[in-house]
Amino acid sequence: MISSDGPSDDALLEQYAQGDPAAAQMLVDRLSPRVYRLARRLLQDQAEAEDVTQEAMLRLWKIAPQWQSGGAKPSTWLHRVTANLATDRLRRRRGVALDSIDEPDDPSPGVVEGMMASDRKRALDEALALLPERQRVAVVLRHLEGLNNPEIAAAMGIGVEAVESLTARGKRKLAALLSGRREELGFEQ
Amino acid sequence: MSHDRMNETDDAALEALFAEARMAEADPVPEGLRARLLADAVPPVAKRSWWSRLGEMLADLGGAPGLVGVSTAGLAGVWIGFSGPGLTGDLVSQFWQGAATVSPTVSAWVEDGPLMAADGDLLAYISGEAE
Repeated sequence: MISSDGPSDDALLEQYAQGDPAAAQMLVDRLSPRVYRLARRLLQDQAEAEDVTQEAMLRLWKIAPQWQSGGAKPSTWLHRVTANLATDRLRRRRGVALDSIDEPDDPSPGVVEGMMASDRKRALDEALALLPERQRVAVVLRHLEGLNNPEIAAAMGIGVEAVESLTARGKRKLAALLSGRREELGFEQ
Repeated sequence: MSHDRMNETDDAALEALFAEARMAEADPVPEGLRARLLADAVPPVAKRSWWSRLGEMLADLGGAPGLVGVSTAGLAGVWIGFSGPGLTGDLVSQFWQGAATVSPTVSAWVEDGPLMAADGDLLAYISGEAE
C-alpha cells in the first residue's frame, strides 16, 4: 500500500508491536481508508462497512506481535480479512444459495443519470451497487482489489469455477449498465 | 440477459474504469470511525529482554545502593540465624557491649525527670492552665 514515504507498513507494524502508539496512528491513516472503501463497495452500507473496517483493523493489532516481516504485506492481509468479513455478513444477510439470486433482465436506466463525465468513479460504484451481491463481491475483489480467483474462492467459500462465472456475469451486467452512457464516461468510440 | 457477450469496446471501457478505480485514492474514513480505530490501537506491552526487566527491578529497589542494602540485610539475617541468639537483650549485648547497663534506667528517669518538677509548670501547661 502507500509506503513510499517513511517506514514500510511492515516496519510500522513491528514498531506498534514494540509499543509505539505513533506507529499505530500511521498505520490507521495509511491502511484504513482502503479497507473502508473495500467494505463499502462490498456491503453498500456505511454502518456495516464501518463495523467491518473496525473488526479488520482489530485483527491486525492482534496479529501484530506474531507478524512475520517479509511475507504478505499488511495491506494485502487486510484486504483478505476485509473480504472475508464482508462476505460473511453478506451470507448472513441473505441466507440464500449462491445462484438463487435473480438477475434483472435490463439494466436500470437511472444508474448513471445525471452522471458527470469527470465522476466515473461514482458511476462505477453506483453500477456495482446494482449487481447481485455475489457478482459484486467477485467483481470488486477480482478487478478492483486484484485478488486472484483462488483467493476470491477462499474468501467467498465457493469454488474457483463459480468465481469465474460470477465475475464474467458481473462484468457483462456492468457493461450493460454503463453502455448507454459511454460518451459521458469518456469512452466513446 | 440481453447482452450475452461483451464487445471489445465495452470490455475496454470497463477495464479502463477498473484501472482508474484501482489507482484512485480512497476517501478519508469518517472522523468517528477514525477515532474508534485509534482507540482500538492500544499498543501491546512491549516485549522486554531479561536484562531490561532486571534493570527495572533494580530501579524499583533503589538502584545499586538499594541492592547493597538488600544484600546486607540478607547476610545479616543469615548471620543472625546461624548465631542462634536467645533473648533480644542478648542480641543487643552482642552488638553493643554494656548496652544492657544503659543509664539512667527508665524508672530512674521517670522519678527524676522534668514531669516531676517541683513547680509543676510543665503539667500546668499541658492541662491548659498556663499560657
